[in-house]
Amino acid sequence: MPDTADILRLESLQVHFPIQGGLFDHVLGRPAGAVRAVDGIDLNIGRGEIVALVGESGSGKTTVGRVITKLAQPTGGRMLFEGRDMTSVQGSSALRPYRHRVQMIFQDAYQALNPRHTVFDVVAEPLRSLRLVGNASQLTERVSEALASAGLNPPGDFFARFPHELSGGQRQRVVIAGALAVRPGLIVADEPVSMLDVSIRAQILQVLVALRDKHNMALLFITHDLPLAWLIADKIAVLYLGKLVEIGSADDITFNPRHPYTVALRNATPQVGANAGRAELRGLQGEVPSAARVPKGCRFHPRCPLAFDRCKQEEPPAIEVGPQHMSACWLAA
Amino acid sequence: MSESTVRYSQRGGARAMKGFLRQFLSYGGAQVGLVCLVFFLVVAPIPNILVGPLQTAINATGDFLAPPSGEHLLGTDEVGRDVLNLVVHGARISLTIALLATVISLIVGTTVGITAGYYGGRVDVWLMRLTDFFFVMPSFVLALVITPVVLEVMGRGGEILGFRPSPFVILVVIGLTSWAFVARIVRSQTLSLKERTFIDRARVAGSSNFSIMVRHILPNLVPQIAANGALVVAGAIYVETSLSFLGLGDPLQPSWGTLLSLAQRAGAASAGAWWYLGAPGVCVLTVSLSFVLIGNALDDTFNPRRRVIP
Repeated sequence: MPDTADILRLESLQVHFPIQGGLFDHVLGRPAGAVRAVDGIDLNIGRGEIVALVGESGSGKTTVGRVITKLAQPTGGRMLFEGRDMTSVQGSSALRPYRHRVQMIFQDAYQALNPRHTVFDVVAEPLRSLRLVGNASQLTERVSEALASAGLNPPGDFFARFPHELSGGQRQRVVIAGALAVRPGLIVADEPVSMLDVSIRAQILQVLVALRDKHNMALLFITHDLPLAWLIADKIAVLYLGKLVEIGSADDITFNPRHPYTVALRNATPQVGANAGRAELRGLQGEVPSAARVPKGCRFHPRCPLAFDRCKQEEPPAIEVGPQHMSACWLAA
Repeated sequence: MSESTVRYSQRGGARAMKGFLRQFLSYGGAQVGLVCLVFFLVVAPIPNILVGPLQTAINATGDFLAPPSGEHLLGTDEVGRDVLNLVVHGARISLTIALLATVISLIVGTTVGITAGYYGGRVDVWLMRLTDFFFVMPSFVLALVITPVVLEVMGRGGEILGFRPSPFVILVVIGLTSWAFVARIVRSQTLSLKERTFIDRARVAGSSNFSIMVRHILPNLVPQIAANGALVVAGAIYVETSLSFLGLGDPLQPSWGTLLSLAQRAGAASAGAWWYLGAPGVCVLTVSLSFVLIGNALDDTFNPRRRVIP
């Protein structure tokens, strides 16, 4: 496969969680609804590419990550990994080759570590389960290498430690080491730094970027923080209520956003600088609607300052507004 | 690896153990229970060294129903056997049955509980209905029905896995009727554990369901299993004593319950032979009380509301 081909391709991916209707709904013949957590997403991730998935809480960004790591099952659409359809593959043994290539970094490093496992056990687990090493010395070598890449030096000092003996930053490094021990082609990082002190964030981000540079690993970086996404990503995808509203290069999305939601997200972010101030800060009006009752037409129209009649009737498709830059807004048409 | 690893593991492990012991021993009940239990656990395996071989009507040494004296510290029974000798030998039988029954109960209960909690759905429903069945069934009545049937079918002779038939049946019956309680506790803990992020991580790491249950969920259940295991032992001793008292025990391997039954039949109570009824009675009371005290102290020690489990 050529190096330019995408490592992961999501084609109108859909995750709907059915709502269990009550007895009354059954009797009255009311249709049971569904929570449309992810409602048709097309996204490509290239080899060695860092893609940021940005959105508010409830936008479905974590669900996308869980589908890619096969922790959740899509209800529609397709997921192609290195050209192979992985949509319906299930079961731990059938997924072994896929797990070898796709790993995950979790938001809360403390919750992600079994309190009764040592650091060595944590990092060795994927190597053992996926049967990637032949003997004990090889295992020790791979674990040391992963810990060192994640910035835990000297690795041997950490082998027998338990999670509660580590600081927050060290725990997140252990989680990262566990993910990269198998040398995957794609890592899904779900808000990997949001639980960390600002001073430690930069170090963890450096580790992630170094991985891409050294091993050509692709990274799907899930975050709610637009400036952070710009800092780390090549490409940014903005998610609103289960649908991508804008996707483009990090610079385009940050400095030339074409969707009112992206603009609103940017304006809601405090900036430090001469011409910035409290007056510049404009929050978004209202709350994200429930994914169980997605608004008709453009799903952003109830909160959009620029909405007009068409927005309430028809859902805008993804419209090309520049090279590799799409926006799902009628104003862009 | 090298020496630093060893140093850390010793330090971490020793510190955790020390913290646990300090907390556990701060409960008065735990201290009392532990002292009593250690006493019986030391006595039980070595009855022959302490009081000589088990006495029978043939090699009995004393008078009939003689009160405690220098020669017979706890008096004698109706055929002249030394009661101390019988009680010490009874400790071995009673504790063996109770502990083995608890092992069976914990293995079955933990397996059913983890499986039901982890898989959920239909597996959970069916396993929990089965558990409910055993939960509401009075174990004592079940044991009372099963024991004579099995004894009738297999006879009282021979040995099963080193046990004579009647103690063996008693221990299996107790084991199989007391697991429901364990299964419910294990299931509820599993339900909350399986939602933790480290289970997701294990799945992404490629671990199979079996490996997640054994390597991730089970180690986190140890506190609950230990605390409830101690309570199950107390219950097992009680049921074993009752069944033996009703005559389902083995006269050739007398447990404390068998002794109480013999004492009852010999009319010890009306004859004023308080030592004959009292000795095994106090033993049963002490041992089950110590297990209850230890179980409660373990429960308090591990209780997340009092102490945050790391």
